[in-house]
Amino acid sequence: MSSPTTSAPEPPRYADRPEWSDVIPVEQYENVNPLAPIFYKDIYKDAADYFRGIVKTGEKSQRVLDLTERIIRLNPAHYTAWQYRYETLLAIEADLEDELRLMDELAITYLKTYQVWHHRRLLMLKIRKPATELVFIAKTFREDAKNYHTWSYRQWLLAYFNDDSLWSGELDFVDELLNADIRNNSAWHHRFFTVFQSGVRDGEQDTERILRRELIYVKQSISLAPNNASAWNYLRGILDHNGIPYSKMIAFVQPYTLPNDDQKADLVDLDNPPPSKDAHLPCAAAVEFLADIYEAEGGDSMLKATELWKSLGNEHDVARKKYWEYRIREGLRAIQT
Amino acid sequence: MDDGYPTPTSISQKATVALLVQPPISPSSASKIPQGILDNNLHLGYLGRHLLQGLPARYTSQDASQSWLLFWSLQSLSLLKVELDEGNKKRASDTILAMQNPAGAFGGGPGQAPHLLPTYAAICTMGIVGSPSTWSQINRPSLYQFFMSLKEPDGSFRVSQRGEVDVRGVYCLLAVAKLLGMMTRELVLGTREWVRSCQTYEGGFASATIGVGEQSAPLGEAHGGYTFCALAAWVLLESEFPSDKGSKSINLKSLRRWLVNMQGDEDELYGFRGRTNKLVDGCYSWWVGGCFKLLAELEERRGMSGKDAEEPIWNPEGLKQYILYAAQHPAGGLRDKPPKSPDMYHTLYCLAGLSVAQYAATASTTTSTSTTSSTSTSPTFRTIAQSAPSQTSNAPPSLNATDPLFNLTQTHAEAMMAYFKSGEVEAFQ
Ligand SMILES: [Zn+2]
Repeated sequence: MSSPTTSAPEPPRYADRPEWSDVIPVEQYENVNPLAPIFYKDIYKDAADYFRGIVKTGEKSQRVLDLTERIIRLNPAHYTAWQYRYETLLAIEADLEDELRLMDELAITYLKTYQVWHHRRLLMLKIRKPATELVFIAKTFREDAKNYHTWSYRQWLLAYFNDDSLWSGELDFVDELLNADIRNNSAWHHRFFTVFQSGVRDGEQDTERILRRELIYVKQSISLAPNNASAWNYLRGILDHNGIPYSKMIAFVQPYTLPNDDQKADLVDLDNPPPSKDAHLPCAAAVEFLADIYEAEGGDSMLKATELWKSLGNEHDVARKKYWEYRIREGLRAIQT
Repeated sequence: MDDGYPTPTSISQKATVALLVQPPISPSSASKIPQGILDNNLHLGYLGRHLLQGLPARYTSQDASQSWLLFWSLQSLSLLKVELDEGNKKRASDTILAMQNPAGAFGGGPGQAPHLLPTYAAICTMGIVGSPSTWSQINRPSLYQFFMSLKEPDGSFRVSQRGEVDVRGVYCLLAVAKLLGMMTRELVLGTREWVRSCQTYEGGFASATIGVGEQSAPLGEAHGGYTFCALAAWVLLESEFPSDKGSKSINLKSLRRWLVNMQGDEDELYGFRGRTNKLVDGCYSWWVGGCFKLLAELEERRGMSGKDAEEPIWNPEGLKQYILYAAQHPAGGLRDKPPKSPDMYHTLYCLAGLSVAQYAATASTTTSTSTTSSTSTSPTFRTIAQSAPSQTSNAPPSLNATDPLFNLTQTHAEAMMAYFKSGEVEAFQ
């Protein structure tokens, strides 16, 4: 069944261990012939039967930690085992830092499981050492830089403990991840969370300066790889959040709506970096953005907007033709009323 | 389109697109899949095998989701216009009832702790196979108390005692409360505002939200699964307790934009992704594709939709391509994407997405009525309506429609709601 490189000797079953003979294992289904039964391996069925036995008596002891660990390693989504394990840790006053070290290993192995991250959160509420956690999380991003649970856990740590020293490294941290992959939307979201949704901290009181910094950052990112939805969404996000009209970006956006041949290679304008020379132009996101500017102007500009929507539906973004037709209908309706 | 600037995201995107254009390898004989036809019998075989013969050991990872396994497979059958025979319906209810906890809620399996997610799956499964005689065994008073015990001061709910707070749990709780007639003002106090604050700057919704100082911030980026849960939760709340004119709403404009942007391009066979710059995956056919009906309902409530509201704003014909060519597995069942294996979860959410696409594509031209003809195909399965092969062309729907709020057929959802509204049921409060 398993290859020689991965097979470790199976640990003895609880049914064969004399020190567990006082526990009465409980079968999963009694008097029911279940539909869609799972054919568990022996070792899992054995552990699960003994776990049900333990839950029945309510025992909380060191050996329960052993049992729940076995179940978790075989099925990390077994939330009842996690829950019972946590209660046991508290009941026997176990060393929670030891538990956290065990979790370091399990978190990497079972990165995509809700429970490993939630258990960590419960531990952290007791241990209260968020700074080292941030370091650990950064390590897990080498395995998967877009893991949803890890990102939301990081955001929870920052917001829950909400300590200036915790937040201070976040922008550099995001920079590093965006340098590795400018299309990592999780990192863009984290940037938004850090810069705009975490309140105002020391050294960040000058909101004008922050906004200017973020606009330059996102424009430069767009200039490197213009067809990057994450960066355009970030640009829209910061404009919406700060109540800035899209029309302020018209000088930046316009070159991106033109084909490669029409690019003017003149002065370097740091506020409005041009598309890279390998960019695929015109960029649909830029055409959409420009149409939004015209739509907001209303009146005669609405016709310019509908022309752009037409070009998106017929040429630059055909997959969303129905959406662009909807935008045209709505736009025309707005100027008729 | 990497603009000559490759990064890990664009590299894995390219690799995926390459796999999507390859025709699926067909080990069996004349397969319908290369022709873009839904192979009903192949998938019925897959579902029947798993339901009746059981699931291989790799499904141990779903041991805490046993009510889900039943819901995924039985709702798949409903979409395929098939139902179990009486004996197996009884078996299904017995299996589900074995997971009911004294607390009134359901666990992921017998003896497992009560939890909102398996409770939703259990109640929906009871809706599919149950009848008043089994529904009367649902312990509403305890369940309602359990719901209240999970409530947080900010209007959200934990998924279980000491469990995590997220919008999946909130959706599951509201859907169950609606089906069982337990939606009270007390229960949902503050929930609206909490759901609203999960919307991110991108327009979709995140898993949860957290207060930072005076503000609240979404935990995690906009995501298809959470967006479905948040939007359905919002519609459930609005339909029960319509909000006053002045109160803050979700941003429909940015949501609409985000939803349509989740649909892939031609080289991705128009499948849906779940987050910006991530890969397409069959299950988002439902999580994202299922949102458009909910969105239309909200627009209608606000009198925003014109007379051509029937016209979809997304590309249902395109989505059919992804599901029929890429998500159908040649050996039966549906999947995330080639070359992955099928599983029960993807089988349901691909079929539900296909159903949405079929009805959206025909909405503006025909209204479909399904003819009920109870022909018996096998002692286990009964066909509940005639099914025609589905093509990617504008054919009439071959699947049953599914209710966008619950992912149940309307008949099942309505019968259950009617039962719990009737006078014969014991009060829960
Ligand atoms: Zn999936």
